[in-house]
Amino acid sequence: MTTTEIPAPTARPKRPTAAPKRRPKREREGAAWVFLSPWVLGACVLTLLPMAVSLYLSFTDYNLFDPPRWIGLRNYTQMFTEDPRYWRSVVTTLTYVVIAVPLQLALALVVALALKSMKSGKAFYRSAFYAPSLLGASMSIALVWRAVFNDGGTVDNLVGNGGWVNKPGWSLVAVALLTVWQFGAPMVIFLAGLQQIPAELYEAAAVDGAGKWRQFMSITVPMLSPVLFFNLVLQTIQAFQVFTPAFAISGGRGGPADSTLVYTLYLYDRGFVASHMGYASAMAWVLLLVIGAVTAVLFRTSRSWVFYASEGDR
Amino acid sequence: MPGHRTKGFCASAAALALCAVLAGCGGSGESVGGGGKVVLRYAWWGNPDRAALTNQAVALFEKRHPNVQVQTSYSSYDAYKQKLAVQATGGDAPDVMQLDYRQINQYASGGVLLDLGKQKALLHTSEIDQGLLATGKVDGTQYAIPQGRGTETVVYDAKAWKASGVPLPHKGWTWDDWADDMRALAKRTGKPGATDPGQNEDAFEVWLRGQGKSLYTKANGLGFTADDLTRWWTFTDGLRREGAVSPAEQTTQLAGFVENTPLARGKATADNNWDAPSSGFLAFIPTGIALAPMPSGEDGTPGQYFKPSMFLGVSANTGHAKESAELVDFLLNDRDAAKILGATRGIPVNESIRKETESQLKDFDKTISDYQASVDGTLKDPPQAPPSGDNALQSTFQRDYDQVSYERMSPRKAAENYITEAKAELRS
Repeated sequence: MTTTEIPAPTARPKRPTAAPKRRPKREREGAAWVFLSPWVLGACVLTLLPMAVSLYLSFTDYNLFDPPRWIGLRNYTQMFTEDPRYWRSVVTTLTYVVIAVPLQLALALVVALALKSMKSGKAFYRSAFYAPSLLGASMSIALVWRAVFNDGGTVDNLVGNGGWVNKPGWSLVAVALLTVWQFGAPMVIFLAGLQQIPAELYEAAAVDGAGKWRQFMSITVPMLSPVLFFNLVLQTIQAFQVFTPAFAISGGRGGPADSTLVYTLYLYDRGFVASHMGYASAMAWVLLLVIGAVTAVLFRTSRSWVFYASEGDR
Repeated sequence: MPGHRTKGFCASAAALALCAVLAGCGGSGESVGGGGKVVLRYAWWGNPDRAALTNQAVALFEKRHPNVQVQTSYSSYDAYKQKLAVQATGGDAPDVMQLDYRQINQYASGGVLLDLGKQKALLHTSEIDQGLLATGKVDGTQYAIPQGRGTETVVYDAKAWKASGVPLPHKGWTWDDWADDMRALAKRTGKPGATDPGQNEDAFEVWLRGQGKSLYTKANGLGFTADDLTRWWTFTDGLRREGAVSPAEQTTQLAGFVENTPLARGKATADNNWDAPSSGFLAFIPTGIALAPMPSGEDGTPGQYFKPSMFLGVSANTGHAKESAELVDFLLNDRDAAKILGATRGIPVNESIRKETESQLKDFDKTISDYQASVDGTLKDPPQAPPSGDNALQSTFQRDYDQVSYERMSPRKAAENYITEAKAELRS
């Protein structure tokens, strides 16, 4: 192993001493903007512009065919006061978030802990457990899921309760399980976080006579809390926006009896099935505000339970 | 991960994820011709057996027009209508598209469809019954051409029904006769007699018309009250509770393909459907199916009617109006195409082709033809094209009935909900 082959570290000292040590700020920013431009362009054209248009549409009656007609806050008042199905979709989504997020995080953490203590084959199992996250976002897996949980499907044959996807009390569980199964991303992040916890903390605890459980509660959880918080925030935001599994498992209708009619699915239904794009846009903005509020609340509560090692040093 | 950057990183990641909420809807694709050929896109809804025949006919068209390549696609009705709505509004509708009676008003007034009157030189309509042809007109302009004539039917597993010993359905039977038969079938076969018709807006319309009422008034308002709908849903819900029609778990799976129906899945003896797509059942019931008229009102008033089963329209944005018109003309007026297509979209609308091919129709095409002949002349005039809100209400109807069949709402409560939703839908 030789490091002399790499010229980079020696390049700078060779420069003429007359040159400024750092280029002017403006020039450096210019280069940054050039490198950022694909992303900035994409963000403006594909994210910010549609957002602005949807904000405008949310105050209109727009059926896709005729030009939008300004109706002020009518969409919003209809949503809150005259649409029972809207409120059902809100309740369904909240139920889903409360079921799916804790289950997914718990499973991710358990698997990450198991992987961490593995001596060999870690890379293989890490990939194996991550695979569902790559597959799971696809429509095809959701369709397989529907077949598995349908009457006459695998689960029906094993448990014999007639197919979860056709039972209003169970269909949302089938949707949530599909999400929980895709615990790969939080698992990998947990694993990275676990590996950063200094081993000497555990050694010291072991010397003091702390058992496994005590070590977990007193070292792992606090040291991991920033990662836990990060995963919690991201998965909560994603769970509020769940669409594909609910769409595929219910055949696009949110059934049976609206039991899987999650917020985004109802939004899609209003926009693309019933052609009320204005109403759908208004729903999207309410969702944005609600997720924003929930995230803000999470950040606020985090002060009392998330432990940042660097803050402790200060 | 633990470190002073974590919190800021966390916040920005959260902000990014939030933005994804609002940027959900994307753009549309563009079809490009390859090898100097004109590429047409042609889309329809239907079962796989219809797709096989249509692709055969399209292959013949391509043979006759070597410079044209036709890309076909099909799906179930539910999926088709959603996809087409999105494509149409993006200005990306297929060049040639199959349309339902429900879609014409909305699409024509939305500027999606080409004025076919201007393509008279290539697209001949002189041999189509003028009354039928007029159903494709909106405000005097011919935006679509009817492709077939269809009517509703009670389709049943002929062998199973005979074996049950229950007398076969007869002309002029009423809804009460039908209900009695379903109960008898359930008793003798040990499974529900038919699909629960409560979720089906079409079946409700037949029942309603049997009482001299209609789904919509001439002024495009609702033609029935919450009381009417409550009676219908009480009737069907009662049969479901008795086990005479399919349970909620099966009814909720219906999605526009015959494969999801209890009849095709071997869980019932009968279903109601339009006559032409009923051929799809043959793939599941090879021993044979038969068609009976829909039940009529108590005083014998027939509720079913002949309606244009579907239309062909051409996109206003097509770059190939000439070739599209030729394809439509071929599908409607060509003798060889008619031989291939048979009655997969209903009995042909071209009068001379119909007369020529009537005697040559075989298998299920003949069943459809005979069935139509048996009710021809006894039915009442079809209603005018439904208002554009009806497209969405069809799904709403199904959903609200889910609440009834899963016993989460009384028929009265669900019916009142539907009326509220329908009024809002028709107003906007």
